[in-house]
Amino acid sequence: MTTTAARTAPSVSSAPTTPTPVPKPRRRSRRRGAIGPLERTIRWVLMIIAVAVVLGPLLWQLGTALKGAGEATVGFPGSLVPSDPTLENFVTAFTAVPLGRYLLNSGAIALLGVTFNLLLATLTGYALARIPFRGRALYIGVLLATAALPFEVILISTLLVTRGLGLQDTLLGVVLPQAVSIVSILVMRQAFLAIPDEIEEAATMDGAGAVRTFWSIMLPSVRGSIAVVAVLGFLDSWDQFLWPLVILSDPANYPVNVGVQFLAGAFSADQRVISAAALIVMIPPLLVYFLLQKQVFTGLAEGALKG
Amino acid sequence: MTATAGTVRRSAGRPSRRAPLRRHRWWVPVLFIGPVLAIQLTFLFLPLGNTFVLAFTNASTVGGGVFTGLANFATIFASAAFWDATAHTGLYIVLATPLLVGISLGLAILINTKMRGAGIVRPILFSPLVMPMAVVALMFQYVLSSNGLVNQILSGLHLISEPIPFLTSSHLALISSVLVTVWKGCGLYTLILLAALQNVSRELDEAAELDGANWLRRTISVTIPQIRGTIGLVAGLAAIAALRAFTEPYVLTGGGPGTSSTTIVLYLFTKGVSPGTQAGYASAISLVLFVVVLVFASISWAATRKGRLR
Repeated sequence: MTTTAARTAPSVSSAPTTPTPVPKPRRRSRRRGAIGPLERTIRWVLMIIAVAVVLGPLLWQLGTALKGAGEATVGFPGSLVPSDPTLENFVTAFTAVPLGRYLLNSGAIALLGVTFNLLLATLTGYALARIPFRGRALYIGVLLATAALPFEVILISTLLVTRGLGLQDTLLGVVLPQAVSIVSILVMRQAFLAIPDEIEEAATMDGAGAVRTFWSIMLPSVRGSIAVVAVLGFLDSWDQFLWPLVILSDPANYPVNVGVQFLAGAFSADQRVISAAALIVMIPPLLVYFLLQKQVFTGLAEGALKG
Repeated sequence: MTATAGTVRRSAGRPSRRAPLRRHRWWVPVLFIGPVLAIQLTFLFLPLGNTFVLAFTNASTVGGGVFTGLANFATIFASAAFWDATAHTGLYIVLATPLLVGISLGLAILINTKMRGAGIVRPILFSPLVMPMAVVALMFQYVLSSNGLVNQILSGLHLISEPIPFLTSSHLALISSVLVTVWKGCGLYTLILLAALQNVSRELDEAAELDGANWLRRTISVTIPQIRGTIGLVAGLAAIAALRAFTEPYVLTGGGPGTSSTTIVLYLFTKGVSPGTQAGYASAISLVLFVVVLVFASISWAATRKGRLR
């Protein structure tokens, strides 16, 4: 987390002072850093409560998912921990119900969604940063305004348009209406703005055209921001619920988020199996989050400031 | 990117990046902007315009429709179900916004410490922000059920004699939905507030400490005023998230019992999504929602302008 703060803070301001480490402030900050035993205890207790509130439901769900068919899901406190842990519910989630199919659908939606998002955000971000054209400032204004428009407002009409194009119940129908992310475009624009003009001039000197410059010179320079946009795109895609629910009618096309609801409703719901399925759905985004924290935090910080 | 660092330094003295205005052929901007423009025209501007047209017709979701003037709006404003849903969304915003802002601010202050352990606690507290809401709500459907975790704990501690009907009582269903929104939302808002807290000036805090102000006093009078802009931003984000609430009530209770947890977006969903339902009427509801969003966005923009310019 400390890295996020350093990133969001304009590091320029602190740069000039770095060469000469002054001993006095360091001593002062050490005194400040000293935490009294009372404060330490209070903070610990509160942090443990907060962590328990976050992890409690997840652990309880894990406990339920690990319980065998013979063990009751109710009762306190003994039943919170399964007496005879089994993985059979996780197996059942894949065999008795089409969780694998739903996961594949979600994977396909995420892959196509991230690809579109990256393609569109880099192209538009580049144009908005480095290609002067008439109406550019106006277009940036329009983009910012549309970013504030919740999708729910145009839900019904978008459904009619998508249906009219024959895209109902298709992968493209799920992905296209949500393909443009204003935050992604702005993140990429910022990244392209930061590239010094000399690089572009050198490329032009060497006879590279606009497309060539974009592809071979500019894109490789913004790999960091591309990773941020990809990670955020994946998380957004995995979280989608309302639009797939509306545009898809064939259960075989459902992504996991919609699929597990369908299970929970239609199946004579075995809580153990549903819990196992829900946990499986949470694993991909949690993995991305814990492995790529830097990208997640950077993207969210920029998104929050621009959204 | 590291390779370009040297160049940056050398060019630091140059007046501006505007200088080498490079001339492009006409098709170059079209090539770069075209794809996004095409998708936005099809899936944003066309539907938005269409919403304005449909709202004044009696079209169904399978087509047709003739101009009916303000009839849809007359029906909406005379509809008890609409005002019911609006009241629920209003209550949702009034409950969720202060809870989200208050708890997130408290958590951000709590974990804004160099204490050992805070480094482990932070990523755990933020983690709900990546969990899909649909699955979180599904989980809480069990957690809040009559024999779920919360009731198990409360009865295990002998605080209640019979289970609290979180999801089956028409008085509690909406509140339970708000609680799920808060559980999931705090991660993101704590993250944003913590980033702001780590940017506040240490000098002021130290000066206040030298003056003998205790920790609570310093936090309230010195630290929090410095992140007022971010708090306003978070409040705006939280209010708009509450205004858009759909997944939580849809999954938890389906808007019930009865319509006791039907929010405005859920109402819109039930009115306009299934084939044959009234697209015209639903579009009119969308327009009302649009106006509300505009009002909210203006308030939020005005409130955070100071914070953004910082």
